Amino acid sequence: MNPSEQELPYTRDIRSNAEDVALIRRMCDADETALGALYDRWMRSLHSLVVHLLKDPDEAEDVVEETFWQAWRKASSYEPSRGAVSTWLLTIGRRRALDRLRAKARRREDSLTREGWVLAEMPSNAPDPLQTTEGAERRRHVLAALRELPEEQREVLELGYFKGLTQPEIAEATGQPLGTVKTRMRLAMQKLREPLSMYRESAP
Amino acid sequence: MSHEEAYSELAAIALGAASTEVSAAVREHAAACPECGPELVAMEEAVAQLGQLVPSAVVNRGRAAGIRSRLVMRARGERETRSSAAPRARPDLARGVASLTGLGHKLTPESQRAVEAEIRKVAPQEKRRTFVSGPVLLALAASIAFVVVAVQLGRVMAERDALRAEVASGADTANAPGTTGGRRAENEALVAAMASPDVKIVPLASGNATRMGRMFWNPSSNDWTFVVYTMPPPKPGMTYQIWLVTDSTKISAGTFNPDQRGHAFMQAKYALDRDALKAVAVTEEPAGGMPAPTGPIVISGSATP
Ligand SMILES: [Zn+2]
Repeated sequence: MNPSEQELPYTRDIRSNAEDVALIRRMCDADETALGALYDRWMRSLHSLVVHLLKDPDEAEDVVEETFWQAWRKASSYEPSRGAVSTWLLTIGRRRALDRLRAKARRREDSLTREGWVLAEMPSNAPDPLQTTEGAERRRHVLAALRELPEEQREVLELGYFKGLTQPEIAEATGQPLGTVKTRMRLAMQKLREPLSMYRESAP
Repeated sequence: MSHEEAYSELAAIALGAASTEVSAAVREHAAACPECGPELVAMEEAVAQLGQLVPSAVVNRGRAAGIRSRLVMRARGERETRSSAAPRARPDLARGVASLTGLGHKLTPESQRAVEAEIRKVAPQEKRRTFVSGPVLLALAASIAFVVVAVQLGRVMAERDALRAEVASGADTANAPGTTGGRRAENEALVAAMASPDVKIVPLASGNATRMGRMFWNPSSNDWTFVVYTMPPPKPGMTYQIWLVTDSTKISAGTFNPDQRGHAFMQAKYALDRDALKAVAVTEEPAGGMPAPTGPIVISGSATP
């Protein structure tokens, strides 16, 4: 057995996208140790997001496992031009978590509850000790951009992202016309992506 | 879809808040549009950053290690299946346990069909149902009773995965009795049973590669251990039923319902002639089980490689 498989570093240091892409290539060549390495790099981030969405550690573990398994099975469908590996992974994980959330909400018919705003739960500026300097910096910028959004724009963003509501559902939850919801969402997203453009330009 | 229409939907697409039809149309446009394409990527990156704003959740290291181990083992099993469809005759210790946890090998669709045909051939189901009388049914049903060993199988599997890593790193210690508590000792005993040179392993699979299982049979000790992985729940009112297929009969080996992770894990003692077992099959049957298989075969495998 490969000794590296027994180590569980869970550090988020030196996670460049180029290294992630190299791991995905190896996964395409059916190298399962690359899956283990990708897990070590992103398990923590993914797990945190999924726990946050589902509020259920047991279910979150299922989703984490399903997500990495899907990444293994679908590694060849990853396209570097469409974003970072981490984006791809977190998108798969979030989608799976939201599917579960929707299924549960359908059962309990409380899909439109609006309690538990996300921003309030986020630590203000406390750096994540596990995150790289660049990662921490990005995070600060995104958080700052999020805080600067007008309340109503932030609301549609959070309902969409963290609650997984569709635009018509958000319109219903907020009592706003669909057109207004669409406009708010667009404006919010445009402002949110601005702080990231600087990182994109420096990317290869 | 026009550029303007697509552009106005990009935010919703990036957030996953648009309908699937709109999403498909916009993505098709964006793939070819020099403006929408990069904008969508940038927005998706921003959305991913949102995902990293959440506070770090506490990770249970043991369970995280179990998930990792299971993933790598499943992936390895899949790779080995790709490179050689032939199951190994005699697994070594690490391989045996890897098969248990990762359910490595699966049958090719061709061999799968052959096995299913063989099972159907052994005893046409309608005929059996007509001729088997009440007391015989009871005898059949009672002949082998699998005991559900673990209710919270996910936990046990994770722990055994962690154990597997330890066993694999020092195979010599694997057969030594456990010294660190009951659960560990139990796991080691199980691992040892699986790895016994006498153990027969019947890989169970479906055309759908996501459903896999294993039957471990030790003809010397009459120990049977059955495990399935990633089984969807049976339809409402239905249950899964295990069958030991011999040349002359199909022996009901009890029913099970997988837990929420799709696992089921059962053990039983039952004496069967060393060469009698031809195949193992799982069918979907009305709750409570049936005296002979009536439903579709969900997974199956041949006992004669
Ligand atoms: Zn366009």
